[in-house]
Amino acid sequence: MIATPHNPLLRADRLVKRFLGVVALKGVSFDLRPGEIHALCGENGAGKSTLIKTLSGLYPAGTYEGEIFVDGKPVAFHSIADAEAAGIAVIYQELALVEEMTVAENIFLGEEPRCGLLIDWDKVYRVARAQLKHFKIQIDPAQPVKSLGVGQKQLVEIAKALCKKSRILILDEPTAALTETEVKSLLNILRDLRQRGFACIYISHKLDEVLAIADRITVLRDGESIATLETGKTNQNEVIRHMVGREIKDFFPRRPTRRGTCRLSVRGLSVEESLQEISFDVYAGEVLGIGGLMGAGRTELLMHLFGAWGDRFAGAVELNGQAFVAATPHDAIRQGLVLVSEDRKRHGLILEQSIGFNLSLSSLAKLTALGCIDKHREFERNKCFFNFLRVKAPTLETLVSQLSGGNQQKVVLGKALMTGPQVVFLDEPTRGIDVGAKVEVYELVNCLTKAGQAVVLVSSELPELIGMSDRIVMLCAGRVSGEFRREEATQEKLLAAAMGMVAERAER
Amino acid sequence: MTISESTGARSGLLVRDFSLVIALVVICGFFALMNPTFLSARNLSILMIDLSITAVLAVGMLLVIVPGHIDLSVGSGVGLIGGLAAVLVFEHNLPSPVAMGIGLVLALVLWGGMGALIVFKRIPAFIITLGGLLIFKGAHWLVIHNATVPVVPGGQTNLYSRLTTWYLPSALGLLLAVTVTAVITWNSVRARQRRRAYGFELANTELFFLKLFLTGQIIFLFVIIANQYRGVPLSAAILGVVAVVVHLVTQHTPFGRYLYAIGGNAEAAFVSGIPVNKVLLGAFASLGAIVALTGYLQTAYAGASTTTVGSLMELDAIAACVIGGTSLKGGRGTVAGVLFGALIMAALLNGMTLLAVSPEIKFITRGIVLTLAVWMDVRLSEKW
Repeated sequence: MIATPHNPLLRADRLVKRFLGVVALKGVSFDLRPGEIHALCGENGAGKSTLIKTLSGLYPAGTYEGEIFVDGKPVAFHSIADAEAAGIAVIYQELALVEEMTVAENIFLGEEPRCGLLIDWDKVYRVARAQLKHFKIQIDPAQPVKSLGVGQKQLVEIAKALCKKSRILILDEPTAALTETEVKSLLNILRDLRQRGFACIYISHKLDEVLAIADRITVLRDGESIATLETGKTNQNEVIRHMVGREIKDFFPRRPTRRGTCRLSVRGLSVEESLQEISFDVYAGEVLGIGGLMGAGRTELLMHLFGAWGDRFAGAVELNGQAFVAATPHDAIRQGLVLVSEDRKRHGLILEQSIGFNLSLSSLAKLTALGCIDKHREFERNKCFFNFLRVKAPTLETLVSQLSGGNQQKVVLGKALMTGPQVVFLDEPTRGIDVGAKVEVYELVNCLTKAGQAVVLVSSELPELIGMSDRIVMLCAGRVSGEFRREEATQEKLLAAAMGMVAERAER
Repeated sequence: MTISESTGARSGLLVRDFSLVIALVVICGFFALMNPTFLSARNLSILMIDLSITAVLAVGMLLVIVPGHIDLSVGSGVGLIGGLAAVLVFEHNLPSPVAMGIGLVLALVLWGGMGALIVFKRIPAFIITLGGLLIFKGAHWLVIHNATVPVVPGGQTNLYSRLTTWYLPSALGLLLAVTVTAVITWNSVRARQRRRAYGFELANTELFFLKLFLTGQIIFLFVIIANQYRGVPLSAAILGVVAVVVHLVTQHTPFGRYLYAIGGNAEAAFVSGIPVNKVLLGAFASLGAIVALTGYLQTAYAGASTTTVGSLMELDAIAACVIGGTSLKGGRGTVAGVLFGALIMAALLNGMTLLAVSPEIKFITRGIVLTLAVWMDVRLSEKW
């Protein structure tokens, strides 16, 4: 590698990218040195994704203004293949692996070594094994990808990129779905790669992680590069200040409200093999946090109560003192219970349709007169939520697929709230969205409880759980392993309960 | 019917509209050059009947393709239901409305049953309806004992036979044209005003009025030409009613919205509280009813039920949908598009028949047109 610190490996100079009516990048400049981990931070819609897509050839040369240099020479990528040939590989949030194939097959997908007309399987597995070992990734190349966890899949993606002789890795939210340990091993591997001279662009909303691993941080805001900071000379507050353009003092602005009557009561619930004898209550005006490690049964619990998953073996559920039975989400929503799923693209949105289509989707029955949708009322109602949630988009007709993660999440929330629920289940409502949008979600939770609705909040982030809940129930292996009031909850206590170390229960 | 107000309409669709219009003009121009009788009142009248039969079935097919399913059994179903009604009329002397009513009930049961298997047993629609294709074909031949069963005893007429032989009186046809044009104009202008009030993107004003003007022109031209022969065929009027009803259902009812939502993302639709199973059952049952109707039209058009009635009609219906911009992956497609697609297929077939093209070449040509249409669709979809 001939590049020196004065001669960056990759440089973007005043990139401007326009979409129909929207300027996504307004002159972003950015450089990446060899052997550097360079973090990109910014709110959703700040232009991070657009920048990556431009650098990786997804937006071909000619569709943007400005210049990209690799090794000091101007380049024009016309496709992803061009960028890959120049050594740039992107590891996306949605992993691009073939589930049914083995690790080694995936690593060599499309570039299988051949022996005449046939694939040289021996070489595939031998080289894959050597490569994985070389980069200290402990995965058996003969394992099918579908048997791996998200963290391991991520590592396979990285191995795949490295096998293609990539010098520049772009990681888009690599840790969004990883557990603590997986994050640690990923960061270690990245540090190792840095030692070997690979450069890495690292995009994450988790600032502690960014500060722990990055050498420099470039902050984007509204399509502009605001600042490039040396990690050693900055701190979380400064980064956030640059991201939002203002200081966020109150990170978890939970305003407790007076607790009302019992809205939802669950007694002795056992579902399939996943949930055992779960009991809890949620009151009007209250936020009940539910925590636990991956696989503890948090999502399963919500999905089951919502009628979307599982056969019940035992237990009773009451909503507002009445027996509550929901065979499908349709029943649950009709009775006043709504769920915002953790996976918004899979369970939340019809991506190819407009914002308006999605917002009113769960509430059409109320907007229908004489069998026909009253389009005028539908519009008024959509507009109301569009404005209330401050969705950043030109009009209600904008396709949801064109929105940033935070704005997509707002649409999912709006769709749920339009049904006029009494109990709202929020499953990881702030996953993969930026600080500003997170605070907006928290404010929304305050609005809901103030209006007397009950909120059940599932989150893997303990600070969020402690910051936003009035009461916290921890799950461990499908059982309630602890219940805490907001005042007594600490990260240590919650974590201990999540791991089943104490069977401490709060007396109410 | 304006496409601009439809769900799923995007600026890209405009390109599609025009490419379809151009394709249609090229096809018609070619046939008119080769054989001037293509544009004669008599032939256009025949074309209208051809079109109405293909289009009614295609519009029904839209209801199951939009939510991401498919039905291969409709062609055999057309033969079976039409044949059953013919047997009841001809061999059992039932009044034709009663016979057709019985056929309709049977169609609802059959399609409800197939829908239930698809929805509750999670068997792919492709397999279930492939089974249906074979079973219904066999049942059809059994019902008519491999013979030719006329839809009406010799020399008489009944409701069944009039489906494709009765024409609207010319005054009624003109009145209809005036009404339809007025309704379309009023609706389009109102929709446009609303979009402006909502701050939505508006199509170019001149283009909008040009489109409206052309639509009106075509409607009147259609009625005037039809009146030069015997008038507007009853089957064309039936198509009009079916098209308007399905358009209203898909664009203005929750049921229709749900079809698009399920086709776009079935899991998200379920979690959003859409009664997915009920909606799919409804879609298949509605298609069943339309299959019965098409069965009567097609059998009446042939004059009798024979073993070949309905053969391969499923492919014409699917082709019309796809040419009209319906996505086989689900979530996209409009009635207006399907009508255009059906018109292209019908014009092609009619023109080739007029030129006495051999059946072999007809098949090959239709296949090529379908392939081109899908290819074009893929190309156009990439751009937006």
